[in-house]
Amino acid sequence: MSFYLPCPYCGPRPVDEYAYFGEVTHRPGPSPSMRELTDYVYFRDNVAGVQREWWQHRLGCGEWFLADRDTRTNEVLDVLLPSPERVREERLGSPPVGAEPMASEVT
Amino acid sequence: MRLPAQTGERIDRSTELSFRLGPWDVSGYAGDTIGSALFAGGRRVFSRSFKYHRPRGLLCCAGHCPNCLMTVDGVPNVRVCVEPLREGAVVEPQNVLGKLDFDLLRVVDKVGGPFTPVGFYYRTMIRPRRMWPLYEKFLRNVAGLGKLDEHAGHTRRYDVEHKKARVLVVGGGRAGRAAALEAASQGPGVVLVDESDRLLRSELAGVEVLAPARALGIWEGNLVPVDCGTVLYRFRAERVVVATGTIEQPLVFPGNDLVGTMFPRAVRRLIRDFSLQPGQRAVVLATDERGLEAADDLGEAGVAVERVVDLRESPLRRIEAQARAGRVRGVLLDDDVVECDLLVASGGRQPAYSLLAQAGGLVEFDPDLGVLVPTEHPPGVEAVGSVTGEGLEKVDPLPSYHGRGKCFVCVCEDVTTKDVKRAITEGFDSIELAKRYTTVTMGPCQGKLCQLPSVRLYAQERRVYETDIGSTTARPPWAPVELGLLAGRHLEPTRRTSLHFRHEETGARMMWAGPWRRPYAYSDYPEQEVRAVHESLGVIDVSTLGKLLVEGPEAAALLERLYPNRFGDMKPGRIRYGVLTTDGGRIMDDGTVARLSDDLYYVTTTSTGSDAVTAWFEWWNAVWGYDADIVNVTGALAALNLAGPRAREALERLTEDDVSAEALKYLDAREVEVVGVPCLTLRIGFVGELGYELHFPSPAGEHVWDRLVAEGAVPFGLEPQRVLRLEKGHVIVGQDTDSESNLLSAGMSWLPKLDKDDFVGKSAVELFAEREERELLVGFRMEENVVPPEGAQVVIEGYPAGRVTSARRSDEVGAIIGLAWVPSDRAEDGTRFEIRVERQLRGARVTHGAFFDPAGERMRS
Amino acid sequence: MSLSFLSPSRCAPGTLASPLTRTLDTVSDTAPWSEAGLRAEGVRHRLRDLSSDGKVEVRGDLDLVEPADGEELIRLSPRRGLLLVDDDPAEAADRLRTYGVRAYDATGALAGLAFEGEQLARRLTDLDLERLPAAGAFARIGAILVRDEGDRFRAYFPQELGHYVAEVVLDAIDGLDNR
Repeated sequence: MSFYLPCPYCGPRPVDEYAYFGEVTHRPGPSPSMRELTDYVYFRDNVAGVQREWWQHRLGCGEWFLADRDTRTNEVLDVLLPSPERVREERLGSPPVGAEPMASEVT
Repeated sequence: MRLPAQTGERIDRSTELSFRLGPWDVSGYAGDTIGSALFAGGRRVFSRSFKYHRPRGLLCCAGHCPNCLMTVDGVPNVRVCVEPLREGAVVEPQNVLGKLDFDLLRVVDKVGGPFTPVGFYYRTMIRPRRMWPLYEKFLRNVAGLGKLDEHAGHTRRYDVEHKKARVLVVGGGRAGRAAALEAASQGPGVVLVDESDRLLRSELAGVEVLAPARALGIWEGNLVPVDCGTVLYRFRAERVVVATGTIEQPLVFPGNDLVGTMFPRAVRRLIRDFSLQPGQRAVVLATDERGLEAADDLGEAGVAVERVVDLRESPLRRIEAQARAGRVRGVLLDDDVVECDLLVASGGRQPAYSLLAQAGGLVEFDPDLGVLVPTEHPPGVEAVGSVTGEGLEKVDPLPSYHGRGKCFVCVCEDVTTKDVKRAITEGFDSIELAKRYTTVTMGPCQGKLCQLPSVRLYAQERRVYETDIGSTTARPPWAPVELGLLAGRHLEPTRRTSLHFRHEETGARMMWAGPWRRPYAYSDYPEQEVRAVHESLGVIDVSTLGKLLVEGPEAAALLERLYPNRFGDMKPGRIRYGVLTTDGGRIMDDGTVARLSDDLYYVTTTSTGSDAVTAWFEWWNAVWGYDADIVNVTGALAALNLAGPRAREALERLTEDDVSAEALKYLDAREVEVVGVPCLTLRIGFVGELGYELHFPSPAGEHVWDRLVAEGAVPFGLEPQRVLRLEKGHVIVGQDTDSESNLLSAGMSWLPKLDKDDFVGKSAVELFAEREERELLVGFRMEENVVPPEGAQVVIEGYPAGRVTSARRSDEVGAIIGLAWVPSDRAEDGTRFEIRVERQLRGARVTHGAFFDPAGERMRS
Repeated sequence: MSLSFLSPSRCAPGTLASPLTRTLDTVSDTAPWSEAGLRAEGVRHRLRDLSSDGKVEVRGDLDLVEPADGEELIRLSPRRGLLLVDDDPAEAADRLRTYGVRAYDATGALAGLAFEGEQLARRLTDLDLERLPAAGAFARIGAILVRDEGDRFRAYFPQELGHYVAEVVLDAIDGLDNR
C-alpha cells in the first residue's frame, strides 16, 4: 500500500505515516444483551466498497479523524473530524486495541 | 575480430580494458559491454540452459533474454549483453558443471527429453517421500540461476533516496524524449529514466536524466522505485509517462534456441555499436521491417547473406534449424536446406506494457496488430510511442512450426511447445493455470519473450482466437533487481533509556522488551540481585514505563470513564492501581494513576503499552470531547525504582526534603528534590519491598543513577524483577494475561465499580458476572524442584486443562512458584494439579495470595 | 504540585547529558590527522546537537499564543504545537499558560539534530522539503523537520530514539561521502 491519505491538518501524506483502526463501530447503549455486545466488539461489515473508518496521523500531527475510503481502490472520498455531535449521532464505538502504525514500512 | 572503425560505434579503440572470464584473461574496449567484448574474443556459448543444459548464445543483446546471465564480481544473474565492461571485472559462467563449451550435464538434453516433461519431478521424485530432500539437493544443483556468495552480502552498500517529480518519463526512446521535452517546456520537475547509458543528455535541456536506471514498477500514489545500481530512488510523481517501446519476440520453430539464432536488433547492435560480425553466413527470416533492415546491416558488414525470406509475402510451411554441437549449421526452409551459422529471426514486436498492466491498466490482444496492447491506463499514468501499439504493422507468423527437435516457447525455463500442448491435454486450459504448471513467463525474462508466443500457441492448440486467451497477470518488478537494493539500509528504530550506556558499562546483558533495550541482569546470577533487594537496596531502570499527563477540568471525568475503578474521589498526592479494559471486557493494560492536583493526573502504563494507551485515551477523548489534554511524557522522564529495606534511609541521605514514613506514606506521590534533580516520587511496591519510583528529566538519568549506586543501591535487571513480582503474585499484563483475559478471570473482581454510569467495558463486566468463568488465573507452588517453561501444559486427570504463564525459582519462598490458568473448579487454595515438563508430569498446588509477605507489611513499612 | 519534574532547566548544573553525545562522539573519537579524522571533522561541521535547546509542547487554541523574541512556534494542528525557545523553557511554559493554553516543557522529551544537505534529507525522509516545518516520517520514526536557510535542516524526535537517529544520520552521510 502506498496511497496518499489526506490528513485534515497536514494534507496528503503517504499512508505509512498513519495508524489504521478499522471501520467505525456503533457502541450499544447501557445494558446490552450478550449478542448486541459481541456484535459490536467482534463483528465487522468488511465491505468491498466505501466504508467510514478511523485513522490517526501517528507520525505526523497525531490527530484522530474519520475517512471515507473505497476498500477496492483505496480512493479516499472524504475526511472528517470526530466532533462529539457526530459521535453522538452515529453512536461511534471503540477502535480495535493495539493497532500498530504502519510506520514499520516507512523507508 | 572487429570491423573497421565506423562512425557511430560505441567503442573507444584507444582504451583497452582487461578482465577475466573464469580462468582466462580477456580484453575489450571502453564502451564495450561484457557481452560484446566476449563475443569479440570469439566466445559464442554464453550459458547453459535452465533444464536441459543446452548451450545458449547472444539472442536479444538488449538485456531481455536469459541467455547471457553470468556472475560478475560476485553478483549472480547479470545480463552481460548490456553490462558495461569495466577494467578488472571477474566474470564467471553459471549453471555449468564443467565448462561452458563442454557441460557434463548436457546429457540431460540427449537422454532427458522423454523423462523431463513439465511437472516431472513433482510427480516422479515425490516417492518415496524420504528421498525428496536428496533429490531436491541434486535438482537445486543442476537447475537454477547462479549461486549467491553467502559472504559477499555486506560488501556492497545500498541506499534509498526519496525524490519527487512532476512528470516521470520511463524510457528514453524517441517518444519518451519527445514527451520529456514537451513536459519540460511547461516547467521544472521532469525526470527521464532510461535503461541504456547512451542517452544524449545534451539533447534534453531542462530534463533530469537518470541512466542507466530501471523503473521497477508503478505503485499506488504513483510511487515508482527506480533502480540506479546502488541507490534506489523512491519517486513520487504527479504524472508517469510510460514510453517503454517494444520487445522483439522469438519465432517458434525447432531449434529456435540454438547458438547462432539472433533477433534482428541484436544483429544491428553488434554491427553498429560494437563493430562486430555476428556470423559468416546468414539467413534472415523477416516478419517486419526490422528483419529486412538487419539483412541490409549484415550485407554492409560483409556477412554473406545466403537467404532472406519475408514471411509476410512468402510464408513457409516448415522452418527447422539444424545443429552441430548446439550451434546453427543450417536451416531447413520448406524442403530446402540452406547452410549458415547465423539465423536471424523474429516473431515481430510486442509492446512492453508490463509497467502499465502492473499499475492497474488493461491489456488486450489486438487482432489488427496481432499483439497484446495496453488499452486503458490507471489515473495519473500515460503511455506514448510504440508501447501503445502505435506504428506497429500487423504481424501474423505461424504460432509454431513443426518438425524434429525441441521448439522453445520459453527459453528461460526450457519449456517447449510439446510441454504446453501436454499441459492443455492434461486440462490446464486457462493460461494462468498453465503458467503455474509449465512455468512459462515465470523465468528471468518474466514474460518479456514468452507471453505473446504462449498466447499464440494456446489459441492455436485450443482452436480459439487469441482475444479469448487473455494474458497472465503482470507483477513488479519489471526489471530484475538486487534484493540488497530493495532491502536498503538496515534501520531498526530502537528505543534506549538515558541510562542505556551506563547499563552496558556495568556489564548488563541487554535484551529486547518490545521496542526497548533493557537489562536482563547485570551478572550471570540474577538471584544475587533479588537478594540485594530483599536484604538491603536495589535500583532498576524503569524509564520504559509509559507515562502520561492527563490535565484539564474534566480530567477526572475522563479517567472515571476510561478505567473500571474510581479516580474522581482521590485526594491530590495519592496513587491508585488501575487496569484498562476494552468494551469487550478484556484486559488491555495496567499501571498506576497518581493525582497531582485537582486537574492533573499522572498515569503510568506498561513498557510496551505507552503508544497504544496514549492513542486509546486520545481516541476516547476525541469521541467524548472532555476538556482534558493527554500528553505522552514517556521519553521526557527517566524513572528509577529504588527498592529494599534500606530505601528510605538511602533516600533521606540524598535529599533535604522530608521523606519520612509519615511524610511520604505508601501510595503517596510527592515532588522531592533528589541530588539536585526535581523528582516526582511515587511510593509504590511492585517488587514487594519498601520502594520509591523516582520520575525526573531524562537528561539527568546518569547523574541520579550514579548517586544511587554510590549510596549502595545494587542495580537489578528485568529477570530479578520478574522473580520479585512473582513472589508477590503481581500479574504482568501481556505475560500472564492474553487477549481473552478479563478482570473476573484474572482475579480482579474487586476492581470494577459497577455503580459508575459508564466505563469502557462496563457492559461486558456486567454480563460476565452473570456466568461462571471457564478458567481462572491462580498462583501455584511446585511439589518438585523443576521450573516449568512458560506455556507449559496444566494437566488434570490426564487431559490438558490450562497453561503456565510464569514460573521462577524463589530463594526467598524456598520453592518454585508461578502463575497458571486452571479450570475454575480447580482453583481452590491447595488443589493439586499436574504440569507437563519435558514429557513428565510434575505436581503443583494452587496457592492463593502472595507467596511472600502476604500482608504487604514490608512495602508499607 | 508543579510540573518542574519535567524540566531539565530545574536540575542543578552539571547533572544533564544529551542522548546524542555517545553516538556523535564515535565520529570525533577518530584521530584528527588521519583521513577518517578529516572526514569526521567534515561530518561534525555539518551536524549540531540541539537536544538541550528549549522546547515546549503546546495544547489548545494556538491562535492565543504570542511567541516572544527568539521563539518559534511550529503548528502541527490547530490544537497542537511546539514552541522552540531560547530562554528557560519552564518559564516559557508558565508564560504560555497565562494565554489560556496548556504547555509542557518538552526539552527532555525531544532530541534535536541540525544537519546540512538536501540530498541527505532526501535519504532520510519523503516529506516535501519545500513545505517545512512539518511532522512526519523521518528515518522511519515520527519527527518534526524544520528547514533553515538554504540546505540547513533541523530535526526534533523522541530522545529515546536519539541514539538510533544519530546512527542513521551518520550512516547516511557515510553513504553520500563514500560513493
